[in-house]
Amino acid sequence: MAEPQAETKQNDKILVAEGLEVSYGATQVLWGVSFSVTRGKVTCMIGSNGAGKTTSLNTVAGMLRAKNGRLLLNGDDITSLSPRDRVRRHISLVPEGRQLWPGMSVEENLLMGCFLRQFRPKAHPGLERIYGLFPRLKERRHQMAGTLSGGEQQMCAIGRGLMSEPQLLMLDEPSLGLAPRLVDEIFEFITNIARQGVTILLVGQNVNYTLQISHYGYVMETGRITLEGSTEMLMNNEFVRRAYLGIAEETPSK
Amino acid sequence: MDAVEYLDLLLKSLLLAGVYAAMAVGMTVIYGVMKIVNLAHAGFLMLGAYFALEMFQRFHVDPILGSVLALPVFFLFGMAVHWLLIRWLPKSDTPTLASLLLMFGFWLVLQNIAYLIWGNEDQSILTPLTLSSVQIGQISIPKVNLVVFAAAVFCMAVLQIVFHRSWFGRSMRALIQNPYAAQIVGVDDQKTARLTFGLGAAFAGFAGGLLGMLFSFSPDFGRPFLLRSFVIIVLGGLESVSGVALGAILLAILETFGINIPLPVYWHGWSFHYLPPSYQQVIPFALLVVVLLILPKGLSSLFNRKWKAA
Repeated sequence: MAEPQAETKQNDKILVAEGLEVSYGATQVLWGVSFSVTRGKVTCMIGSNGAGKTTSLNTVAGMLRAKNGRLLLNGDDITSLSPRDRVRRHISLVPEGRQLWPGMSVEENLLMGCFLRQFRPKAHPGLERIYGLFPRLKERRHQMAGTLSGGEQQMCAIGRGLMSEPQLLMLDEPSLGLAPRLVDEIFEFITNIARQGVTILLVGQNVNYTLQISHYGYVMETGRITLEGSTEMLMNNEFVRRAYLGIAEETPSK
Repeated sequence: MDAVEYLDLLLKSLLLAGVYAAMAVGMTVIYGVMKIVNLAHAGFLMLGAYFALEMFQRFHVDPILGSVLALPVFFLFGMAVHWLLIRWLPKSDTPTLASLLLMFGFWLVLQNIAYLIWGNEDQSILTPLTLSSVQIGQISIPKVNLVVFAAAVFCMAVLQIVFHRSWFGRSMRALIQNPYAAQIVGVDDQKTARLTFGLGAAFAGFAGGLLGMLFSFSPDFGRPFLLRSFVIIVLGGLESVSGVALGAILLAILETFGINIPLPVYWHGWSFHYLPPSYQQVIPFALLVVVLLILPKGLSSLFNRKWKAA
């Protein structure tokens, strides 16, 4: 690859992960994972349970420390930054299982997305924006988040993630545990958000949907990236078709 | 016993519940945010009483005002204690032996410093309020109980507003309900913990001053109140100021009525006996055991089943 070409390619990469190695105690779960996220595009990671997708997102968010490897955000090394400093740089994670505050109202949950002082002036316009995207949340804004249905909780979690106007939005299993009709709805929302130019890193077990709304994808297995490419290429790949679009899809684990 | 006496007892227990709630709330927020059982709470309560006493004797500050002044003083004191001692504890989702021992040791240190300064004789704060009372029909209520109740309720109301309307309050609740999510949105857990410990100490100092107006005290003062705080927390849960208030009311009522109404006893047939007043201390203990056996997650678990889903 010619040098100048590589440079322009670097510039539209919002996030580059190089050789991430992460352990929980003595158990290593990521073994030299490298991936990148292109500005304004939807990048996805697919793979079975325990492959390391959630771990990868948590590492990008700073919730886990990489013992080896680097994370570059717009070319700046963020490997050693705290989660707080990464939020400050407009990285936002919508975690697996929603992780709302059940005893706080929907509105308070959303407001917490603008917790950092630099975001607080944007909190109230932000609320209006989110209520525009998810009118159902506006109806229920004074309700405790713990009393919402699964789909509403997911909307609330995505809303919270969008409050700080992130440059990189990471969505971890946004359709997990939702009824099929709601899965359609959530993926439609994600597509809409992506159209507005938000860069998204998406992790999903619903491989079919996930690939459909993404531009580029990575396949993870046991802590390594085993395959990557444009989503058309992945959808036509024999291994992906067999492992994720065929049999695996009918027996989703958990 | 006639209705008036019952009403009298009920009123007295409600008035007591106000101080109890102020006393327990500090421990509750500290446990909720940091998962530290603040055994030194008893020491803060005791120091609060001596603070109000000293302010009264040296500067003729009314002990109610003295208790309110204890809020900022103990807030700073608590933050200093956190900065010097507590922040070095390993982080944990459950109370650790290290934190228990540290707080217990710190309590002993506070207690012994108090013995050095004030000696071991009992002190009490006597103001004109202490001996006068208000007559409502046939019920007479000491003015000091009314004033103490009003101060406690006022400060609890302020705390409730802080809890629900400020970013600091929201960050505390976020850490109590889901620390992982709090970190994701950038809550600084160390800073929030420091402020929370300050807040907990502030309310302990405040409640200590109020309790000092109702009871005589020595450097060993906080011990029975520490136990009562445990009971209130177990009853009320960690989620809200109102839970603490509910636990406090329940404890105060049981304590007051427990020794004032005859209890049925089975001994060669049913008969009714009064519990000796010296057994009043047993009531919170017994309540703690019973609640832990029947409702290990507190009264709120009766109402909040649906939260589990989240």
